[in-house]
Amino acid sequence: MYRIGVDIGGTFTDLVVVEDAGAVHFGKIASTPEDQSIGVMAGLDMMAGRLLMPLVAMLGQTERIVHGMTVATNALLERKGARLGLLTTEGHRDVLEMREGLKPERYNLRLPRHPALAPRALRFGVRERMRDTGSVETSLDMDSLDTAIEALRGEKVEAIAVCYLHAYANPAHEQQTRDRLAELLPDVYVSLSSDVLPQIKEYERVSTTAVNAYVGPALERYLARLQNRLKETGYSGPALITLSHGGVAPISEAIRLAAGTVLSGPAGGLAGARHASGVLDVGDLIPFDMGGTSTDISLIVDGETTLSSDRVVAGERIALSSLDIVTLGAGGGSIASVDTGGLLNVGPHSAGASPGPACYGNGGVEPTVTDANVALGFLNPDGFSGGGSALDTKAANTALDVLAGKLGVERITAAEGVFRVVNTQMAEGVRLATVRRGVDPRRFALFGFGGAAGLHVTSLARMLDIKRAIIPRMASVLSAWGMLTTDLRYEMSRTKIGEIGEMRPEELQMLFGGLEGDVKGALSAWFEGDIRTSRTADMRYGEQIFEIDVDLNHIDFADEGAGQAAKQAFEARHEELYTYSLPDREPVLVNARVAAIGELSAPPAEPLVARGPDLKARGVRKIYLGAWMDAPVFAFSELPAGQLITGPALIEADTTTVLLRAADTALVTDTGWLDIAISD
Amino acid sequence: MTISIDPITTSVIQHRLTGIVEEMGEAMLRTSYSQILNSSRDFSMALCGADGGLLAQAEHIPVHVGAMTWAAKEVIEYFEGNIFPGDVFLLNDPYFGGSHLPDVTVIVPVFVDGNCLFWTLNRAHHSDIGGATHGAYNAAATEIWQEGLRIPPIKLYVKGVRRDDLHRMLSVNVRHPRDFEGDLAAQTGSAKLGEKRLGELIAESGVETVSAAMARILDAAEAQARAVIKTWTDGVYYGTALLDDDGRGNEDIAIRTTVTIDGDSIEVDLSDSDPQVESFINSSFANTQSAVVMTYAFLLDPGIAQNAGTIRPLTVKAKEGTVVWAKPGAPVTLCTSHCSQEIIEAIVDAIAPACPERAMAGWGKRFRIAIKGEDPRNGAPFIWHMFHARPGAGASSGGDGWHGSGEWHSAGGLKFGSVEVAEARFPLFFERHEYRPGSGGDGQYGGGAGCELLLRLETASDCKVNTAGEGVRHAAAGRQGGRDGAPHDYRVRAPGGDIRVLKTKEEGVDVQAGTVFEVLSGGGGGWGDPAQRTVKARAVDEREGLPPYLGKA
Repeated sequence: MYRIGVDIGGTFTDLVVVEDAGAVHFGKIASTPEDQSIGVMAGLDMMAGRLLMPLVAMLGQTERIVHGMTVATNALLERKGARLGLLTTEGHRDVLEMREGLKPERYNLRLPRHPALAPRALRFGVRERMRDTGSVETSLDMDSLDTAIEALRGEKVEAIAVCYLHAYANPAHEQQTRDRLAELLPDVYVSLSSDVLPQIKEYERVSTTAVNAYVGPALERYLARLQNRLKETGYSGPALITLSHGGVAPISEAIRLAAGTVLSGPAGGLAGARHASGVLDVGDLIPFDMGGTSTDISLIVDGETTLSSDRVVAGERIALSSLDIVTLGAGGGSIASVDTGGLLNVGPHSAGASPGPACYGNGGVEPTVTDANVALGFLNPDGFSGGGSALDTKAANTALDVLAGKLGVERITAAEGVFRVVNTQMAEGVRLATVRRGVDPRRFALFGFGGAAGLHVTSLARMLDIKRAIIPRMASVLSAWGMLTTDLRYEMSRTKIGEIGEMRPEELQMLFGGLEGDVKGALSAWFEGDIRTSRTADMRYGEQIFEIDVDLNHIDFADEGAGQAAKQAFEARHEELYTYSLPDREPVLVNARVAAIGELSAPPAEPLVARGPDLKARGVRKIYLGAWMDAPVFAFSELPAGQLITGPALIEADTTTVLLRAADTALVTDTGWLDIAISD
Repeated sequence: MTISIDPITTSVIQHRLTGIVEEMGEAMLRTSYSQILNSSRDFSMALCGADGGLLAQAEHIPVHVGAMTWAAKEVIEYFEGNIFPGDVFLLNDPYFGGSHLPDVTVIVPVFVDGNCLFWTLNRAHHSDIGGATHGAYNAAATEIWQEGLRIPPIKLYVKGVRRDDLHRMLSVNVRHPRDFEGDLAAQTGSAKLGEKRLGELIAESGVETVSAAMARILDAAEAQARAVIKTWTDGVYYGTALLDDDGRGNEDIAIRTTVTIDGDSIEVDLSDSDPQVESFINSSFANTQSAVVMTYAFLLDPGIAQNAGTIRPLTVKAKEGTVVWAKPGAPVTLCTSHCSQEIIEAIVDAIAPACPERAMAGWGKRFRIAIKGEDPRNGAPFIWHMFHARPGAGASSGGDGWHGSGEWHSAGGLKFGSVEVAEARFPLFFERHEYRPGSGGDGQYGGGAGCELLLRLETASDCKVNTAGEGVRHAAAGRQGGRDGAPHDYRVRAPGGDIRVLKTKEEGVDVQAGTVFEVLSGGGGGWGDPAQRTVKARAVDEREGLPPYLGKA
């Protein structure tokens, strides 16, 4: 039987097929933005071809397809989501657009206004009001609701977000509103804030709910098409969708919680990195995913990822828990420029997929990071990006010459400058990510994947004083592979504000026990196996605004000292993150969270790569690392286990190239990955 | 120590410096624990050179941008010959490099081979700093001693050892000693982190290279600034902005500027401003200079680094004894908001003919309310500061102003807290909090709308209210033919129905339990001739229910 991972990115759709025996096959095919399911089916067909069988036969022997996609992300980034209406409590119509009073780009006072996902004309107040205790202050006024619904009908909205004040404490009015909408506007996609994010803080809740309803219809249409195509092709197994928190869920759940798919792809990559951490027995990793327009950085500490809920995508706040990933606006396509003060900048503008870097020969004229890498000799001018298309070295040089002229330096110096500056930016990004988590990057290994990471990890590691870098064999399709390593996950949270140390065990039992029953119930609708649960809580000191996520799994809530134990867990975590705790102050519980996890069978171990005589270099290329030098070039996929390669050297795969700097040594692992010792 | 430095190494070091101040900011955000700091982010980080000149600053609160350098310079001057590794300095006094008393600055020297070559600074607004009223904004103050504890440059740590006696003296002089101590610890930790990171950079790259790169970074910023100024039309320009009053019955306090553009240099002379007044709208000269630098930053291109090089083309002049340069002892707490905002407006008013596309309309003014009372749910005292009901932003050549994005001196950088959290934590009920129709100034581009807030006081007993602000008479100014925004209009409606207008500078107003605050905040100014506003834009205004302000009804 096969398991298939599919990850759709902006340019390529990546596919990974894992056999029972562990063999991993992977490939890439162009994405089809107008209907991503076309690209998926073409990719599946391609993989079936590689397995020398018809598509129907391959799908007939497939037990699971796990899928990550950018449908929701693109709808948000390109502002092509649904025509969205918003219902709020009367008198609070503008909570979405107010953005808590914040405007980006502090010194840019000529910045145009950021349009809200639901413009004011499509936002309506409804007469109703709850209290923070959950008591009803003003009952839902059905006339007021019907008037708003009629107006939304007139505006021909495709989706409606409903977010009433304190609905986390009592969702009755939102539920009555949903029922009424189902009667009057049955074809409209509806999201309730009490369903999407039932927790206190109205801006986070309304924004997340609005994003959910905005991207929901597009996601629903896409997944319906995909499901049909798979069905037509004879696939009857489960299709699971990767969510931003790194777990997977069936299609129906992804449609309900559409905003939770926004980080689907990066979550797959991080899931893969976490799995790799276990396989490699390296607990502390910095997953570093460098693509064409951006770079995702995260942390794995003691083999575990962390969840965070402070994500902003395309200027919109999404407060659902998602894997903690820092995205930097620098990648292979980032454009280098010289400012009027004569200093070199890389990014934030990117040549994107079209025209792409000058060396792609598609009309790009501005020098990018990739063009610099070509000039430095790091990339094979004869073939790149799997498609094997040759690079236009001349166009890259022309673009760099303009830059060099402005800097008053030689072309090669300019190219090296671009390489150094982008590496510095990424190193600062890693530092920021680690200080935020209160850890020292030096004890970590860099785990590089994504098309562009291989050329930059060894330089980045030096800047951060990191001694080890690891590149998996499937570096260019890690997200698709990672999706096959995750479990089913269903999360719920509930707001309950109070001093945790004072809470009675019965109170905690009722709160967490209730949530546990709910999440298990939801998950068992899609899953028959054993379900385990994980309990965490968002807590803070009284005066603080930021809550921190505290693991409570080790606490027995039947125990008399449960509240105190939770308090201590908070203090330990606070100290870890912020260097201090205040034992004489009472931490406040804000949100209780429980996740139900349905464990899927882990992917079989990768087969071992044969040992053998050292592979000889397939050629030598001149590269520039402060001076021109000869670098032997090796074929990544043909390396035998145990081979040791000393830099300077280049190790090339179809879709990625790894640079070893002088005296770096790469050991080929038993599964054919590169384990690189960075020289001093 | 002159070594040649290439533009690429310079760029690399510039990114490292930016990374260091951002990391300091991140550490501060995560370790501070008073609400004003970790939610409203009212703090800033800076790196300065041996002479106190600004090298890098994290993007936090604009009014802090030009200010930190004065703090470093005061420390350097007072402690000359007495500065050692491990020392930590502190100050808040507006007459010794501070801005206003609640802003406390921590200053840490960075030593290389026995020489103090750099400084890391952290300025943060504390929730209380002692004085006659909570929160420092004391409309009744006639001298600075009534506004709070004055801290001239002091040494809080001597060679790594904290002076506990001094620390305790500070703590007992403020109303929330634990918040004060916690936030001060966070500030110190963040400044020390900057020291450590800067040390690492120097160890890696060598002090000569870092110093040479810093010199070049300043030169580059200067060149960028001069390139912009060169596009402005040469000439001598005059501008005026008026404050409503001083809270003592004197109205129309004027800030007057003479701005001279000469090639790639600019001089701002505020000497003709009105004499200093009795109340807290006075500014110290340090704060006035920051206000000028902030204005300058708003007028330049947003991508230009803010450092000592950027401001080389700028000269600031003023006269002691005026409202923009009060003599020591005068109260100044409101100055970071007002008269800072009027300084911005007077400069923009003057310079608009020289660079009309850059001259933005006025942003709404600050009008604070602080409520002090007892929460009937638990009998505990509370103080609530209003950050809601933000005024509108000014329009510009870039388009309409942002609705409800706040005041000019913070420019969309101050966050208001969650209504739900406020209701859960304070005896307050937000009946209404949304945009105020008819408040944005009309123009080709419309000023942002202000907000309406109806806030019911759910206490069992009476409360005390302090106010501090401006903008009920002189609203945010329109520019290039655009109209002014609506002024603020704040009232309290007692349970019996009696209405009282809240003035902008009141101390200790008694309000009854059950009172409703009816807050209408001002709109931003419009930009350009209203006749040029497109039919389509007018139709959107209409559909959205946010027509422009058409003057007093």
